[in-house]
Amino acid sequence: MIHATAWYIWLLAALSVLLGTRNPLYLIVLLAEMALVVEALYAPTGEKLRAPVAPGRFALFVVPAGALFNVLTTHTGATVLLRLPEAIPLLGGPLTLEGLVYGAINGLSLAALFTAFTVLNLAVPIRDLIRLAPRAFYPLAVVVSVAVTFVPTTLRQIQEVREAQAVRGRRMRGLRDWLPLFMPLLIGGLEHALQLAEALTARGFASSDAPFDAPRDQGVRYGLLGALLLLLTGGLLRLAWNLQVWGWLLMLLGAVLFGWALRRAGRSAPRSTYRRIPWTRADTLITLGAALTVIPLWLRAGAARLYSPYPALTLPLFDPWVGLAFLGLTLPVFQLYRARVAAAGAAL
Amino acid sequence: MKDRKSILLSSLIYLITNLVGLVGFFYPFFLPLLSADRAQAASPWLMTLLVGFCFVALLLEVQGDALNARFVALLGVLVALNAVLRFIETAIPGPGGFSPIFFLILTTGYVFGARFGFLMGALTLLVSALITGGVGPWLPYQMFTAGWVGATAAGLRVFRLEGRRGEVALLVALGAVWGLFYGMLMNLYFWPFAAGLGDQQWTAGLSWIAGFQRYAAFYVATSLAWDIVGALGNVLLLSFFAAPTLRALRRFRRRFTFIYQAEAL
Repeated sequence: MIHATAWYIWLLAALSVLLGTRNPLYLIVLLAEMALVVEALYAPTGEKLRAPVAPGRFALFVVPAGALFNVLTTHTGATVLLRLPEAIPLLGGPLTLEGLVYGAINGLSLAALFTAFTVLNLAVPIRDLIRLAPRAFYPLAVVVSVAVTFVPTTLRQIQEVREAQAVRGRRMRGLRDWLPLFMPLLIGGLEHALQLAEALTARGFASSDAPFDAPRDQGVRYGLLGALLLLLTGGLLRLAWNLQVWGWLLMLLGAVLFGWALRRAGRSAPRSTYRRIPWTRADTLITLGAALTVIPLWLRAGAARLYSPYPALTLPLFDPWVGLAFLGLTLPVFQLYRARVAAAGAAL
Repeated sequence: MKDRKSILLSSLIYLITNLVGLVGFFYPFFLPLLSADRAQAASPWLMTLLVGFCFVALLLEVQGDALNARFVALLGVLVALNAVLRFIETAIPGPGGFSPIFFLILTTGYVFGARFGFLMGALTLLVSALITGGVGPWLPYQMFTAGWVGATAAGLRVFRLEGRRGEVALLVALGAVWGLFYGMLMNLYFWPFAAGLGDQQWTAGLSWIAGFQRYAAFYVATSLAWDIVGALGNVLLLSFFAAPTLRALRRFRRRFTFIYQAEAL
């Protein structure tokens, strides 16, 4: 099992390269590699993807849609494919090949970003995502845990209410017919909440009106305020007066103070870890692979990194070393297959 | 009992975080007033960073002030219910921008107050993203905006119409406004990132009027029809379901006021 933190570092590396390039060749390579990771994650269980749309289907929609939208609304570029009458608002004018390619690159970039997040959604169980929340957010993590736990109960409840209404001969025709489904669901949920609140109170969980029986730590508030003011001032120095170094310095100080405030806020939150997930050598390799993916793009790629088809379409450059470094993102595939082979061997 | 210093600090945090949140959404229109430098091209990333920090600070402040066992249980269960509604909507998409989640965010925010409404909005989006695999860079913006939807519903209480006829009409009006405004705000966060050529796209150095014109053209071309359906959906749901839902929520608000008193054995 790959550690959730290793997946987060993998995601950060993927986002860094995806947001750092507009070269369609690099984007296609990255998309293909991430699709391999999705496939490796998807294959062992055969379960339905925990994503609203499969990444492949999303790419098939968003790339042509991006190209079409851009070619119809952007009338710039040297290679004219077609001319629409100028009288048509927004759409009238020359439709260019450069506009088409630019829109397709936009779509490609979006599809790759979507695939990167799909990897995270598939790879990291919800409980591990919640577990990684900073201790300062312990109360909210409890709310999210309660909500996630109640989702299957609520779905079951919907089914029960629907069946009960069907037995009475009620059919869903108009919007008003949904009320007899919704109200029992809401009231049943509120009854559950009341029982849960009593159970939590009986177990001594934050039972008084003062949350968590502790006075608020004013140091945390001072820290947060100071951090926000430093971040804002740093941002303003950069944007309004173009003082880049001072701006970054203040923002860095603000971020450090913010981290301190979060840490201090987390001290009052109790946390028991019953099962610690070990960090393995494979996790280190995945982390290093992800880090190595980022460096060559920023060091070597130069003009090839930021490709633009305007004003006249040219072929994008491709640095093979950068392409090779992208392979670092595929390391989870090897680890996933290795784990699967080991599991199959153990089963025999 | 809270002391004056605590209230002042808390209010300052709310003020700064919400102001920066608003600035983070609307900066494409007024950034050129600050600077005409080319470094503006990097500003979307800077603003995203600032909005992220502010949202985390706001969540920390809201959770600390609001949560106890009853609050945790009530919020958790209602968020689960709303997340299931979004799950169903993802599985069987409604027409256009129709989404059933705002109905419960608005009604709970109105009955239980601004903090509850804010957390209800933000956590509904978080939990539904977790169960449907919708975690992505859009999520903090969705959480921030949905939080505002819930918090503004509590603002309707200043009209003191609780239990009277006009309250549903007020909620319906707010639902219609947010149906359009939610889409407008969510478009704004990614509009500068989709920078390129054309009359509808953001480019560094635009005046606020030119920026507004371009965004208006972009919004009308891409989202207006979609968001009108969303607003109509809110209007219909609130018109039909708000009155009985408000009655049920109020009844449970009274039942949730039990107080635990520890006794020595």
